[in-house]
Amino acid sequence: MIVFDKVTKKFPLGNTALNDVSFEIDDNQFVFLVGQSGAGKTTILKMITQEISPTSGSIIIDDFDITDKNFSQKIELRRKIGIIFQDFKVLSDKNVFENIAVSLKVIGVDNSDLKAKVKKTLELVGLSKKEMVFPVQLSAGELQRVAIARAIIGDRDIIIADEPTGNLDPKTSWDIMKIFKKLEGKKTIIIATHNTDIVNSFQKRVLVLKDGKIIKDQRKGGYEL
Amino acid sequence: MKEIWTSIRRTPYQSFSAFLILFFTLFLTLILFVSLTFLYGTLNYLETKPQVTVYFQTKTLENQIFKIRDDLMASGKVLSLKYISKNEAFNIYKQLNKDNPLLLEMVSADILPPSLEVYAKKPIYLPEIAEYLKKQGDIDEVQYEKDIIDKLLVLTNTIRISALIFFSYLILMSIVVLTTMILFKIALKESEITLLKLIGATNFYIRKPYIFESLFLGITASTISFGIFSFIVVYFNSFLQSYFKGITVLSVNVFNYPLNIWPLNYVFFAIVFVSITLFGMIISSVASYIATNKYLKV
Repeated sequence: MIVFDKVTKKFPLGNTALNDVSFEIDDNQFVFLVGQSGAGKTTILKMITQEISPTSGSIIIDDFDITDKNFSQKIELRRKIGIIFQDFKVLSDKNVFENIAVSLKVIGVDNSDLKAKVKKTLELVGLSKKEMVFPVQLSAGELQRVAIARAIIGDRDIIIADEPTGNLDPKTSWDIMKIFKKLEGKKTIIIATHNTDIVNSFQKRVLVLKDGKIIKDQRKGGYEL
Repeated sequence: MKEIWTSIRRTPYQSFSAFLILFFTLFLTLILFVSLTFLYGTLNYLETKPQVTVYFQTKTLENQIFKIRDDLMASGKVLSLKYISKNEAFNIYKQLNKDNPLLLEMVSADILPPSLEVYAKKPIYLPEIAEYLKKQGDIDEVQYEKDIIDKLLVLTNTIRISALIFFSYLILMSIVVLTTMILFKIALKESEITLLKLIGATNFYIRKPYIFESLFLGITASTISFGIFSFIVVYFNSFLQSYFKGITVLSVNVFNYPLNIWPLNYVFFAIVFVSITLFGMIISSVASYIATNKYLKV
């Protein structure tokens, strides 16, 4: 479970990215964060991954109160979370297999288990035949599949995706969203997106942000600003 | 090892630059280290050469002289003592003036004073020894080269302090240059490091490949530096033989254990190799530790 309680984030120059935001996300729930650029979507995701801290309020993720001053389990928390970026962040000097395996290596998975797990995940994202290929030889859609595979491998409970289809054409975007669909009910999935069609068609929970505030929280919503 | 080689292969120019800097630093350090070791050895050798010579009155009994000799040896400040009796002094005199029969006729053993040549463990003890001798009875004259000893003391202290400052500078310079070089290499991996942090990698996991690669480069650079240095030393061995002609042994104290550095020997070379390798490993790993720090604050 993810709980944001009266979370505010003010940056040093004075702009307020989040203003008294509260919400709860249950385990294995599928949530879209929508809103215009600068509404606070990415700030929420970065707070979950502990890239930035709130100015006030509290954030609880599973058993971790990450806003507690004595919180020292950042690494353990990050090992529960898989992240997907708009610009993929696929490592250019590693092949597809290595890019996905890195997610297991950081948590100390044995080489014997690693190979089987990577192959299984490659099948899930449809990249079985490209495990030895380097990123430069992949299309944007394939790069995003690699990023998704890296995020979901290793029993990570929470998957967060920041504009995962932002750099993809409509057909590829749908292919990518099908992968998320396969994960539905198995992991907590939070997707920040501008893609109206996708949000409307999925009919999942939608948190609408505007100027750092949540203005709508619909259980089976569409894209409405 | 495979990962180190892959990393070197994928960033060959940065790795080669880091290797070159390490190689030149270590080669220079090696030359300085061995030169300073020989300088210390030579200074240690020279420090035992200055002596106090005390001439006793001719009437002084040998027992009195032996008592003074024993007291000096018991002080712990004397390296060695040489007693020259009247007869030995006369023999030396005869040897020195063998071509001048007139001088030999005028002198007998009775008029030559017995003497003690006192070699101190350190030059700093010589004035103290001289003062002690002057206070004894039946002393005719105490001689020691005060100016030379003072200059030697100043010289040895200056060299020791200069060596310390130069080594500190060399270490600092090596670490700064290497850190900058490794930073260039790591800068290319900034997004990878950020990603690894975000997916839960520990700082050690992220640092490990950079430190291992630096250690590998440090060991390789020190081994090659040592190989080239050894070749040069062997090549100039005949020159060194003539330069140190007459000096049978040079040694330095390493943690209170005497280490012979001349004639050149395997133990000395082994210690030099281990020292330079450790130095290379330490500066390269410290530099990569500092360089990675910059990118671990995610």
